[in-house]
Amino acid sequence: MQGLLPYVVRRLLWAPLILLAVSFIAFAITRFGPGDPLRVAMGQYSDPVALERVRHEEGLDKPFFEQYGIYLKNLAHGKLGESLTYRNRDVSEVIFPRIWVSARLGLVALLIIFAVGVPLGIFAALRQGTWADPFSISVFLFLQSVPVLITVPLMLLVFVLKLHWLPAAGWGGLFDKRIVMPALALSLPGIAGIARLTRATTLSVLREDYVRTARAKGLREFTVISRHVVRNSLLPLVTVVGISLATLVEGAFFAETLLGIPGIGKLTFDSVQGRDYNIILALALVLCSAFIIANIVIDIAYTVIDPRVRYERQRLG
Amino acid sequence: MKRFLAVAALLLGLVTVASVVACGGSGGSSENAGSAGGGSASGPTLRMVGGDPLTLDPALVTDAISATYIVEIFSGLVTIDKDLKLAPDIAKSWDVSPDGKTYTFHLRDDVVFQQTYRQVTATDFKYSMERAVNPDTASTVAEAYLGDIVGARDMINGTASQISGIEVVDDFTLRITIDEPKPYFLAKMACPTSFVVDKTQVEDDQRNWTKKPHGTGPFMVKEWKLGESLTLQANERYYAGAPSVKTVNFMLSGGSQLTMYEDDEVDVAGISINDIERALDANDPLHSEYLSADSMSVSYLGFNTQKPPFDDPKVRQAFGLAIDRDKIVEVVLKDMVPVAHSIMPPGLPGYNSSATAGAYDPEKAKQLLAESRYGGPSGLPKITLSQVGAGATAGNDIQAMVEMWKQNLGVEVEIQQTDQATFWQDLDKRSYQMFAAGWVMDYPDPEDILDILFNSKSHQNSTGYSNPEVDQLLVQARTEQDSAKRMTLYQQVEQLILADVPWVPLYYGRDHVVVKPYVKNFMLPPVVMPYLRYVTIDQ
Repeated sequence: MQGLLPYVVRRLLWAPLILLAVSFIAFAITRFGPGDPLRVAMGQYSDPVALERVRHEEGLDKPFFEQYGIYLKNLAHGKLGESLTYRNRDVSEVIFPRIWVSARLGLVALLIIFAVGVPLGIFAALRQGTWADPFSISVFLFLQSVPVLITVPLMLLVFVLKLHWLPAAGWGGLFDKRIVMPALALSLPGIAGIARLTRATTLSVLREDYVRTARAKGLREFTVISRHVVRNSLLPLVTVVGISLATLVEGAFFAETLLGIPGIGKLTFDSVQGRDYNIILALALVLCSAFIIANIVIDIAYTVIDPRVRYERQRLG
Repeated sequence: MKRFLAVAALLLGLVTVASVVACGGSGGSSENAGSAGGGSASGPTLRMVGGDPLTLDPALVTDAISATYIVEIFSGLVTIDKDLKLAPDIAKSWDVSPDGKTYTFHLRDDVVFQQTYRQVTATDFKYSMERAVNPDTASTVAEAYLGDIVGARDMINGTASQISGIEVVDDFTLRITIDEPKPYFLAKMACPTSFVVDKTQVEDDQRNWTKKPHGTGPFMVKEWKLGESLTLQANERYYAGAPSVKTVNFMLSGGSQLTMYEDDEVDVAGISINDIERALDANDPLHSEYLSADSMSVSYLGFNTQKPPFDDPKVRQAFGLAIDRDKIVEVVLKDMVPVAHSIMPPGLPGYNSSATAGAYDPEKAKQLLAESRYGGPSGLPKITLSQVGAGATAGNDIQAMVEMWKQNLGVEVEIQQTDQATFWQDLDKRSYQMFAAGWVMDYPDPEDILDILFNSKSHQNSTGYSNPEVDQLLVQARTEQDSAKRMTLYQQVEQLILADVPWVPLYYGRDHVVVKPYVKNFMLPPVVMPYLRYVTIDQ
């Protein structure tokens, strides 16, 4: 474990540099890309005089590097600036409540993906060669290929209009039944991937010598599977948690819009449409930070779980 | 086993942290669910799906969605009534000087701000309008709505500390002088920019006051959760009597409106083109709850009259005559909107029911194209039609038009979809050859469409249209004091424009909703105007 701490410190030191690069790229794209937040805000009215006056008020007429400098200075003070579409609102006030909604929803979806995908993969691996293996995986592959735009209306039809089990839209937190449909919509497409990965790792573990040894020792099959097979086949899965997070962010837009969830999906779309520079930048930075942290946590988790992984590069270098 | 437990603990740890914090969050939302349940102790509740307001500050609002809430919460000197006529609001009456430039408003003495019950006086109006034009407020519409007032532009430019044309005569008399005798000035006073705000509240907390603003309108903000919900509450001290509906709950986060409606989660839902057949089917339960009404707006095809090939009026005419708008409306748009035959939409004073934008005539279209300077389809440069859109496919109506041009004129038109941010910018630069757009009336006066879009000196003239006769008539109409004569001038202008075809009017706007049977007197206002106080609910 001695190599871990310097490794984490090094990763953490890299984080601000990565964020700085991301902020610069995002800043440049917003400033040099087509479209103008103030012009969109004016809608069907265009008055060049008013436009330039407000542009000056908002500091958007300053040279690029001066604007970027001001942005970084504010950022260093923890200020993300003011929204350009929601007038007189701080970016943090606009985005954090919604990120918190999307994060909780995403977490629940992630738990469902793993809670269903892992046992399913193990089940399929143990039934290799029977009809149950391809059948179970195909069902979830089918679900993976059905877009959210179809699953959501179907769920609305069944759960809301036919069975009257759930309300059609809205958000009430983790322990409100309105979370069921969005969580399902987000998790269904992800299950197949995890199940197939688990199946593959389980199959390779089943061929390991130590499994044969365990069986040869006369251990009960249940003990062999639970203690030797499952444990070892789960290790590679930790790595894909981060990747799964990314796909969840993508799926969130449609699910949130169709089900009236006040999360970041719709906000991201609207901010890009409205060229709300400061919100776009803040979302980029927050999501980027989330991925950096998630990856560091996963790397640490990996060393804790698997003693074979050690961060020894340092000693070599 | 120890290592496996470590993973489990990690995951469990995350869940525990999340659920602890979530408890705090879900407490607030169960409260919210309670208030949305209707029939609470607070009286009749109306539940609706609303657009997400970007601001509730009357001086800053530019979008129609935010304005629909603002007109319920705030009010001004005048308003627009159910018959679309300008009506007294906080000003109970007004006199106009013989030269038409000075308006003396006599204010009611029984209007108070919400929450504080402070009496509204003429000083509050002066403050509110000066705040709206103050450069620090950074309003993008100050010029458009208040720029006619003498001295307003000086204050906008920072050369004056007050608007010289606004004079407080006494507590309940306000005198406003405008630069030219413009009869449409009064209509602009019904728009939010000039609405009265509570100085004490605004100065006290410049940034946060709109979260629970002290307006003067029939409703006040009970709770505003950004992007999630907005709850309005009846203003019991509203001068014209408290509204019958005590709570209006707007869900702002979207969702499938009709499903929510059928599941009894909302009382009003919009009907989209996917559901219109159900609403029109007499056997469907939705049919008896269906309501539609014209909105004062018009969709059109605009031609850039300065760029080839639409610099030749004959080409513009040919393109207009080659599209069968009746067929498009019937087949593609399922009759959800009426075909437009004029620029001024129905309901607008000056609307001319006998105006005719060229009807479908493919033969004449072909002939006109052949007579044009381009000599026919082969002589035309590449043509692109631009439209706002984020998807991969263009609107079905636009695709139908492109097909009709191909069939009737033998011309290939390419469709370019742009997102709105780029669209508006390019429109200002007049960089489009041909574009599909719409115009929504902000106040019911022909000036708001004809002068703004077709005067050769207007920045809004995206077609580059220039006709000296039109310009001269528009200037004349601006200050014509005889209302009937003024409308005749505008109708003359409209005829001239229709003959020059910078626009092909396509459809007028129409809104479609379903409303629960227990909601009475619901209306779809054609322009943004306060209407929620007319609604009643049968319990």
